[in-house]
Amino acid sequence: MDTSSPAVFVNAEILKMYLGRRVRTVVQVLRNEGAIMIGQSTDGQQLTIKGSQVFPPSRFVEVIGIADGNQSICAEICTDFGETFDMQAYNGLCQLANGKFKNLFL
Amino acid sequence: MYGNTYDGGSASLFSGGGFMLSQATQTTDSGFSKSRGTQNVLSLTVKQISEAYHSNDDKSNFAVDGVEASNVRLLGLVMNKAERVTDVSFSLDDGTGRIDVNRWVNETSDTNEMDMIQNGMYVTVSGSLKGFQGKRHVVAFCVRPVTDFNHLTLHFLECIYVHLDNTRPKVNLTAGAVTSITNDVKGYQPPVSNQFSTHSGSGGSGGSETNIYMMVLDVFQEPASLAREHGLHVEEIVQRLGLPIHKIKSNSYPSSLCLTFIYLLCVRVYSFYFVLFRDAIEYHVDIGNIYSTIDDNHYKSACNG
Repeated sequence: MDTSSPAVFVNAEILKMYLGRRVRTVVQVLRNEGAIMIGQSTDGQQLTIKGSQVFPPSRFVEVIGIADGNQSICAEICTDFGETFDMQAYNGLCQLANGKFKNLFL
Repeated sequence: MYGNTYDGGSASLFSGGGFMLSQATQTTDSGFSKSRGTQNVLSLTVKQISEAYHSNDDKSNFAVDGVEASNVRLLGLVMNKAERVTDVSFSLDDGTGRIDVNRWVNETSDTNEMDMIQNGMYVTVSGSLKGFQGKRHVVAFCVRPVTDFNHLTLHFLECIYVHLDNTRPKVNLTAGAVTSITNDVKGYQPPVSNQFSTHSGSGGSGGSETNIYMMVLDVFQEPASLAREHGLHVEEIVQRLGLPIHKIKSNSYPSSLCLTFIYLLCVRVYSFYFVLFRDAIEYHVDIGNIYSTIDDNHYKSACNG
């Protein structure tokens, strides 16, 4: 068992609190700019994902990586979540997992 | 049997343990299999398992939130998958931590199931929680790939729900009553255990609180309440269920002094009830029976009218 490097559930707002830490989030791909992917976060902001493989626009992608800026993640693992995903529910989960029920996750 | 293979299994690492128990050839002499029949599967995070209380006898006795956690459901990424002749093992990373998972392969169907599982894949693991020489791991009886990723959100919300349900002070009666109302949340029969007696040990307040929880929900579920777009104001709940001040005032009392006294008493009781009702409302919001509407003072039942 190893709980030393958790990946925190974040949306764009919560991401800012975890600079330098391992985070996980889901974005909907807006566009790819070379090696950088621009995605919309679950709370409607734009996030820059570095080091990810290329996913076509409008797909939902889960990104696990290090928060290296207020709106930027350096990706370690990207998973294609397909064409439909409930962003609102995930956003709610981010809030719960960082609020009242943080002790279940971190 | 179970205990023997477990104890003597240091060389062959758990060989013969795990889910041979579930096969019909096993007898029920080991207490564990008996309890398994009545056990629910708890959705948990790895973090919760790492903090689970482990009573140190050689049976696998874990408790999370005061509830026995022998069967668990986890969801996460597969890492370091290793296949052997008799079993497949991998490490499951659910974002809160990593735990080793072991799946015995006896039949071709087991082998087929495990062949589909690849590193980097999201899977749901159902299995039993084991502790061996201080190390915790899961012996899986089912490993399924996640195909709809909303299940990821759902799983972690379930973890929160299970935690919430198991940590709330309540009596057995409510556990049944509340679940029957929230019949859209299927699959959880909150384990009826004696944790409640320790929880509500503060002078039997548990029972009355439970009644207040039910009374509050009943008011929200009256047709008249359901019909109102913005639901009910907290004050209305207090007025409906608290001491009806206006009724007392309207009664004729012998002296104005007495009336003032009763009125002041009512105000005290009223504010006391207000706190209790607030707590009850918060509880029903948390488990999804009611939700806030236009502001934090208005709530409505989640059930359709």
